[in-house]
Amino acid sequence: MNDDPSLAGELPGQGLFLIQEATHVEAHERSEPLGVLFWTCVGWIVLNVLGAIFANALPLKSALFQDYNNINVGPGWHHLFGTDDLGRDIFSRVVFGSRVSVAVGVGAMIIGFGIGAPLGMLAAYKRGRFDSIFTTIMYVLLAFPAIIATIAVLSFWTPRALLKIIIVIGLASVPLVYRVIRTATLNVATKDYVIAAKVQGATDRRILIKELLPNIAPIGVSFLLIGIATVITLEGALAFLGLSVNPPTPSWGNMINESRTVLAQNPWLVIFPSAALCLFLLCLNFIGDRLRTHYDVTEVKL
Amino acid sequence: MSDELLVVKDLTTTFTTNSGPLTAVGGVSFTLGQNETLGIVGESGSGKTVLSRTIMGLQPRRNVTVTGSAIINGFEVVGASEKAKRQIWGTEVAMVFQDPMTSLNPVMRIGQQIDESLRVRLGMDRASAKARSIELLELVGIPSPVERYNSYPGHLSGGMRQRVVIATALACSPKLLMADEPTTGLDVTIQAQILNLLDELKDRLKMSVILVTHDLGVVATRTSRIVVMYAGRIVEIGDTRDVFYHHRMPYTRALLESSPKVSNHSHTRLQTIPGRPPNLMKLADGCSFAPRCAYATDQCHNVRPTLQAADETGHYFACWNPLPSNRGVRAP
Repeated sequence: MNDDPSLAGELPGQGLFLIQEATHVEAHERSEPLGVLFWTCVGWIVLNVLGAIFANALPLKSALFQDYNNINVGPGWHHLFGTDDLGRDIFSRVVFGSRVSVAVGVGAMIIGFGIGAPLGMLAAYKRGRFDSIFTTIMYVLLAFPAIIATIAVLSFWTPRALLKIIIVIGLASVPLVYRVIRTATLNVATKDYVIAAKVQGATDRRILIKELLPNIAPIGVSFLLIGIATVITLEGALAFLGLSVNPPTPSWGNMINESRTVLAQNPWLVIFPSAALCLFLLCLNFIGDRLRTHYDVTEVKL
Repeated sequence: MSDELLVVKDLTTTFTTNSGPLTAVGGVSFTLGQNETLGIVGESGSGKTVLSRTIMGLQPRRNVTVTGSAIINGFEVVGASEKAKRQIWGTEVAMVFQDPMTSLNPVMRIGQQIDESLRVRLGMDRASAKARSIELLELVGIPSPVERYNSYPGHLSGGMRQRVVIATALACSPKLLMADEPTTGLDVTIQAQILNLLDELKDRLKMSVILVTHDLGVVATRTSRIVVMYAGRIVEIGDTRDVFYHHRMPYTRALLESSPKVSNHSHTRLQTIPGRPPNLMKLADGCSFAPRCAYATDQCHNVRPTLQAADETGHYFACWNPLPSNRGVRAP
């Protein structure tokens, strides 16, 4: 055992590494890097978002042109992902479809956080009647399944448009955001440094923005990313039920829905949008989760 | 009495709980002069912290009733609005908290935390606030304050953090510094440093200090007056020397005897006070300490004693059967 050089050389080194890690409290500056996988995921998300934004400017085939000479073609050089049952280019449709997903994800979360986060912070900071009233309302809303609520609203609010979908999903996400932000704020608001800031004469607004916000930001950001993934899934589900954007505008969800009928002849039609959706969500979730652990700068490491 | 910085009169703090009212501070009165240090001592749960927070005007927003009066430099804290209190917080009265690990914002640079109140309260611009912050860091004995200005609290040790906490409290030169167990979170050698620092700053900045602690060793040499609290009431108050050497209240003696002495032989059994502090919910009519007191009589159990003057000026105690006055006996 003792003359095994690799073991002898490695053990003390490992020990040293552990000690070093334990004594470094400066989580921001010196903690372990975020990792290759993390940056790969970030790259993938950025690529998707850029694709969604600049889809019109990209040298893509039309997502709507129906080429009846090439129906249900498999993936190949001419049509990268093949064509669907109407001869439309699947690759183009996947790229254009990402627009709906990205728009819904970002838009709905802007609404959700725009309303839910300030309310949650205020409720946790002010407590009292304000807190009781809003928390009760939010919990009542949470008790009602979001998917059913959105289906109900969207089937009445016609004609359907992307903006309406964003608004409905955004409002449905408010209670979720409220709950997470309120809990995170509650945790921070009772800390001595908040009281300390108060007895140095800081106003409520200052305390909310300067003391509370930076401390709940890590949780907020990771929940934001996971929230985007959740509402994109919700949009997919709505699209699958035919309640999202009207055809022929592609979205990942309605592509999967439409391809059901031709699944046997052309499985690629369901595989590509599903893979795009799946990868996008996976990356978002992974980034959110990784950031949460990374920025968890509490003194635990001491 | 206009030279008194703090006048507390009949201050009572009652919490409304689900099982009835709980009087955490019951009718406390005392005064504190300029440039004086007052020690508030008592067991856990004796109401020291609630008292100090009530004087600051820092009660929770709900379920608390405060009566009586606490006047800091002419400002009545009891009943004042949050907005009005903001005017005295920082400039008239400031607070140093128990645990330096939690009283600094972990995601804000140290310098910024001191700058904050300078800029908000005193309207300083960025550059002069920074200069003043560095000065303050130097004042509280932080080595290389210029570099530390940009550090995060996580980079500093507990003792250093407590110094920073003191620096933030001193930023707007308060006239009264409230230190609620400022050394409980620190180890013994650092404790002495921090206490000496507070003492030195008190003289240099001509402020008054209230030192809340359960450790009599802490208050012994650093305070001019001591308030001994039990079950939310003052049971003895007087000059530090009188409370230590001429105490009349049996509780004060019990408290003094229970603090370990270096001169004791090793393996000396620690003195304790038998029994437990009373349930503040069901306080008896009599003296709250009576159930644990060796000298208790029927009167003690039925009638609450009020503060009465002892032989020394400014020395009061609340006891029906006080320890004999040892005035004239040479202090050890």
